[in-house]
Amino acid sequence: MLLELPSVRQEAWRWSDTSALPGHAQATPTGEIPAALPWLIGDGPRLLFVDGVFDAVRSAPGDIAVGAVSADAGDHALGRLAGKTGWRLRLGRAHAAPGLVQIVHITTGGADHLAAEIELGEDAQASVVETFIGDGWTNRLTAIRLAKSARLMLARRLLGASGYVSVTDRAEIGEGASLTIASLAAGDCDSRLDGHITLAGEGAFAEADGALLARGAARHDANLVLRHAAPNGTSRQTWRSVADDRATCAVAARVEVARAAQKTDGEQSLKGLLLARTATINAKPELEIFADDVKCAHGATVGELDRGALYYFATRGVPPGEARALLTQAFVADAIDRIGDEAARDAFRANVAEWFSKAPPKTEKG
Amino acid sequence: MLQLNNLHAAVDGKAILNGLTLSVNAGEVHAIMGPNGAGKSTLAYVLGGRPGYEVLAGSATLDGHDLLALEPHERAAAGLFLGFQYPVEIPGVSNVQFLRTAVNAQRRGRGEAEMSAGDFLKAAKAQGEALGFSMDMLKRPVNVGFSGGEKKRNEMVQMALIGPRLAILDETDSGLDIDALRVVGDGITRIMRRPDKSVVIITHYQRLLDIVRPDFVHVLSAGRIVRSGSAELAHELEREGYVGVAQEERAA
Repeated sequence: MLLELPSVRQEAWRWSDTSALPGHAQATPTGEIPAALPWLIGDGPRLLFVDGVFDAVRSAPGDIAVGAVSADAGDHALGRLAGKTGWRLRLGRAHAAPGLVQIVHITTGGADHLAAEIELGEDAQASVVETFIGDGWTNRLTAIRLAKSARLMLARRLLGASGYVSVTDRAEIGEGASLTIASLAAGDCDSRLDGHITLAGEGAFAEADGALLARGAARHDANLVLRHAAPNGTSRQTWRSVADDRATCAVAARVEVARAAQKTDGEQSLKGLLLARTATINAKPELEIFADDVKCAHGATVGELDRGALYYFATRGVPPGEARALLTQAFVADAIDRIGDEAARDAFRANVAEWFSKAPPKTEKG
Repeated sequence: MLQLNNLHAAVDGKAILNGLTLSVNAGEVHAIMGPNGAGKSTLAYVLGGRPGYEVLAGSATLDGHDLLALEPHERAAAGLFLGFQYPVEIPGVSNVQFLRTAVNAQRRGRGEAEMSAGDFLKAAKAQGEALGFSMDMLKRPVNVGFSGGEKKRNEMVQMALIGPRLAILDETDSGLDIDALRVVGDGITRIMRRPDKSVVIITHYQRLLDIVRPDFVHVLSAGRIVRSGSAELAHELEREGYVGVAQEERAA
């Protein structure tokens, strides 16, 4: 396959590094499945994809079909590679998915591409958790369509030990419908997250939150566009980036308010925490407003851990590494606590704690 | 228990402690009083190892441990508790989480088993009740939105659960109304008035000392102890002021 990758000269890709992707694309996956898979508690549908291939034996797909999907990547370079097959969740009017839908993607050293489609009918509801583990390049495209008053919670956690995960979402939210997407990067892979979300119906709600944890030379890059196309819409974006060593986190979040989208209520909070002076955090909040009666708030800050708080911990006997981990977990909690499903929220919190406990030992400076 | 010998210390290159010598034995409560700028808070921070406080000369030992050679968290593990004049607010971390982390870090340091969540909550609830600090407050983020009195009561709850050998309480009485002063003062006595524990109370005023009743009162001036006496010395200071009692020139 000939890879057509975006250039860093393009504004939307300036903070990404896709140079490792051709190497992943040529590598041969091992196909080895770990003994313990990261399922959460719950008896909802479960789907396992190994190197992009559905593993029917280890899955219980319930309402979810595997096969051709209808997902348009637009002009997104990586999304276009995802193809036209994958998994599909279609719920009719007033249906609710039976329990939490869980999808685990394992990539074992090569590159794999997969598309997905979530279409919820009027008043339908679903909660989906996707977990990414392994090594190599995992590339995904998800098309989301929510009809009137439908509700979707989509939570993703990137826990890969190495490699690259690219996730592209394209969502259209109908009248009074609600979409929440929460992302957590708490492994040692690089990532590129793209969300293109349109609040198409009146009174739609969209929330895109994320916690990005990066260390070593890892690089996370999130790019969001929330477009208010109809009146009375509400959008929320809460992003917390943490970078240690020589790692980089970048979050570019744009809110667009079309002329027709009066009474839009948008809030955006992008915060970064540098755990080392050699790390990099980029935050790029953007507002583009064509309507005249809107309320849009945004804030972007980058800072370091509060020395006073670290010292307070120390005087109570808490070693510096533990204090740093607790304070950092508190920092990213803003983005994770919004996850509505309790099992998913607890699991994501535990993944954050685990990320710190697996950190390579560091010499603490006094 | 605590031995300070000829301690000299500086902040931002400016000498604040100028040869401070003090000996505190197990079972004793000492009060250190003195005018603004005398070095009272500096003494607390130097002993607590706060970054930016530079020790130029002298020694400080706690139960034979060289305090000055230890990291701040190791000093706590050695039995030192520092009560803050301005306790720090920590958004996003609950009091329960903060305290349980602290208690278990110290237990691990001593080779003891960690406390289970249930046992810890029970202990925290009991100590909280004794100090008028509700379970609801314990679940809130550390000191965020607390009044001055609530913050100081929180310090006492921490001290009760951590169970230090030596507490250095830096103006714990500041910002307290009469009722809160009584609660905090009684708390200090109940938690720390034991044959194997000691307290150093740093204060401007004698009113907390009416409740806690120190065995010794010292006057700190220009970074040295210029006079020591019994609890009666605090009353004398209250009547006559520092200038008359210290008979030493005031710190600038």
